[in-house]
Amino acid sequence: MVARYLRDTTHGGPPLDEVLAEAIYQETRRLDEAGTSSRAEEDRAFWKDVKHQLGRSSDRTQRDLLASAVRHYATEIVGNFDPRVYGVVSKAGPPALGLLLNAVSPKRILAGFSGLPRLDDAVVIKGEVEHVRRLHDKGRVIMVPTHVSNLDSIVIGFAILRMGLPPMIYGAGLNLFSNPMLGYFMHNLGAYTVDRKKTDPLYKDVLKTYCAVTLELGYDNIFFPGGTRSRSGAIEGKLKLGLLGSGLNTYVENLTRKADKPKLYVVPATLSYELTLEAETLVDDFLKDVGKSRYIISDDEFSQPRRVFDFISSLLSLESRIHVHVSRPMDPFGNPVDLDGNSLDPMGRVVDTARYVVDASGQPVTDEARDAEYTREVGERVIEAFLRDNVLMSTHLLARAVFGLLRKHNARLPLIRLIRAGGQHEDVEMVEVYEVIERLLGELRALALSDGVRLDPRLDRARAEDVVSEGLRHFATYHETPAVSRKGDRLFASDRNLLFYYQNRVEGYGVWPEPELSPALSRDRRSLGGGSGRGDPGPRPRGAEGGAR
Amino acid sequence: MSLRIAVIGAGRLAEVMGRLLAASSTKPELTHWTRRDDVAGAFAERHPEVRRAQSIADAARDAQVVVLAVPAPALEEVAALYGAVARGDQVVIHASRGVGEGFVLGHQAIRAKTCVRKIVALGGPLHSRELGTGRVLAAVAASRFQDGIEAVRAMTAGTPVYVHPTQDLVGVEVAGAMSNVWALASGMVEGLELGDTARGLLMTRGLVEAQRIGLALGADPATFAGLAGLGDLIPRKVSSTERHHAHGAALARGLPKTQDPKVSTPPDDRPLEGVVTALAARTLGAEKRLRLPLLDTIADVIAGTRSARESLEKVLQLDLEDLILPRAALAAR
Repeated sequence: MVARYLRDTTHGGPPLDEVLAEAIYQETRRLDEAGTSSRAEEDRAFWKDVKHQLGRSSDRTQRDLLASAVRHYATEIVGNFDPRVYGVVSKAGPPALGLLLNAVSPKRILAGFSGLPRLDDAVVIKGEVEHVRRLHDKGRVIMVPTHVSNLDSIVIGFAILRMGLPPMIYGAGLNLFSNPMLGYFMHNLGAYTVDRKKTDPLYKDVLKTYCAVTLELGYDNIFFPGGTRSRSGAIEGKLKLGLLGSGLNTYVENLTRKADKPKLYVVPATLSYELTLEAETLVDDFLKDVGKSRYIISDDEFSQPRRVFDFISSLLSLESRIHVHVSRPMDPFGNPVDLDGNSLDPMGRVVDTARYVVDASGQPVTDEARDAEYTREVGERVIEAFLRDNVLMSTHLLARAVFGLLRKHNARLPLIRLIRAGGQHEDVEMVEVYEVIERLLGELRALALSDGVRLDPRLDRARAEDVVSEGLRHFATYHETPAVSRKGDRLFASDRNLLFYYQNRVEGYGVWPEPELSPALSRDRRSLGGGSGRGDPGPRPRGAEGGAR
Repeated sequence: MSLRIAVIGAGRLAEVMGRLLAASSTKPELTHWTRRDDVAGAFAERHPEVRRAQSIADAARDAQVVVLAVPAPALEEVAALYGAVARGDQVVIHASRGVGEGFVLGHQAIRAKTCVRKIVALGGPLHSRELGTGRVLAAVAASRFQDGIEAVRAMTAGTPVYVHPTQDLVGVEVAGAMSNVWALASGMVEGLELGDTARGLLMTRGLVEAQRIGLALGADPATFAGLAGLGDLIPRKVSSTERHHAHGAALARGLPKTQDPKVSTPPDDRPLEGVVTALAARTLGAEKRLRLPLLDTIADVIAGTRSARESLEKVLQLDLEDLILPRAALAAR
């Protein structure tokens, strides 16, 4: 992998000393605020040494220095706290990864946790599972799930296992590994480390190269294209396309070296929960003023074992479900693929995808601008799949109804004021809520019939009363203050942040309330998405709508 | 190695291609195919250096660039034929100035029927008649792919055509389609002898309404103030020979009852692009809640539900306040 990175950079990249100087600068800046852990100390010593040597270096030493910087990053990415992993990988190189992943059977680990067999019942896996299993034999699979919670990393790893697929390699934030048990568990489900505090371009390149190399070596990958957990609770509206793009690079690379199975498949998946473990922290961050929100949150509910325990126990006690829906696979250009792994055009004809990446002489080549355009389209298709295969549950519908009614009753109040300070009317009548939910159920069922969204199967025949009581039951179990609570024949918005958070899952479908009442956010869903987490939740100026009535 | 181009169809763009070929310094190899034998024969006579293909597959087989030279209403149909032999490396160029039913834009029609991605929409005031007069000509080439822009550049190298590249495919297509509607409107103004001021008002309002539609579909608002928008509208308005213009004038004066304007206009048996576009735009505007008073009026006059004189005068008197270019959108760029 180190060799691969060096090969790629020595062809036309920026000068080596600039790359190194940038790395030293970025890392020194990061380490200034990194505290005094043993890890930070090691890093400091490492970069100090690099800086010292770079001062009067020849081309040759620069190459060596770069190689050691890449190795430094790579070892952290590949195996963080497990010396065994560290040792094997750094000595034997990437081929050892397979051994590593198979060394400890995940099944054996799972058996060790008494609570986990029940997790088995809680996770419902649906969709194109068989399709993905077949594609696994035809080429490499890149799975791209939605992201709302740190638990996603575990749920998706678990789902892969349950689907009968070999472990897939995926990145997980450094903080997820701080829990040794969880870290061990995740490692053996194929997780590698991503430290998003590292802003050094070299680090990002090494990360991308790592993914590309594992794909080329035949390992399937998972990554969360939203880049971070959705802050607003809405489906991702904007994606980080870097790693998706590296899938396309790998495809071109495979074609160039005439690999046995050059194809790559992108498989979107949705993870849907009734409740989100970190909902309070996430939405709080979303509602901060623009620019003050944090891309990285490390001190949330996930770092509090008590909260995790509460969450899991409420999950299991309420017969709650986590829905994992696997969407239809596509190629790295956004075309759908059939069961045999062939790409199809909109008329259902088989497409020779290699033609998308050839130059005038017919040779496969990478072309940054061209490939970025292909990847942008894949991103659009992924977002469409997310919206289509998002599973809406009782909590989302109840929150939508109550929040929508509050908006209606406080129509003159700007959204953000309503959430922060509350309006004159803080409660709604049950009958109103029933009426609205009946309407929502109608609209969403119709949408679901045309594959526009998915509804929790338990809502198939549910009446509005069932949705309300189910939703209330779930809200009452986990959050410190429930989003909604009942007092007599009225429902109170006990936590408007949470209400907003859960109702946002129903954004982007054009269902009740009507556009003028729906949060201004829906006019520009991109600002809502988890991608940046920095949307401006305030109403937009009229002019921006291009003269909408 | 010279560029290999397949021209499909017999529209305006086919003629432009034929003339460009004669002027181009890169000497592309041209192959031509159209379903209509008589048209193909006449084209071959005018352009002896163009190879006449036996089938669409024959035409497209070796081509690097495929030009779909058909008007908007036929684009989807021809794209479907081509789709059977299309390849992902081919650049596809269209210059249709209209939309399909349901306001389907040119690139959307091509995407819906083929596997190709490198699509170019040509826009702007390119008039084939002026090729060969030595005058400066300009066209807009819109594509998300550099290969698409390069292909148009190679084809126009050595000719007096200045190619203005942009990535805003949607903007150029909407501007081009709506310009035919405004040509109809301009014809109406002339038919009613409303004068030059009315025409100025009409162009301003037309541009803003086109921009609103474009914005709703994700276009760059600035495109409408550029060559594909304003730059296209000005020369088209001075040309009184435009079929759209004439049709607009005829509509304003009142068509004979027997002639259904939605169906056909002699001598061609296809509906005018501007007519189809106006009706589709009205539906789209209603769906997206866009404020399009001029467009609504034109569509009503076409459909025969309102008289031209009364309604046009009324719409041109409307408050101009809402005609400010959406500044917020421009500033957001």
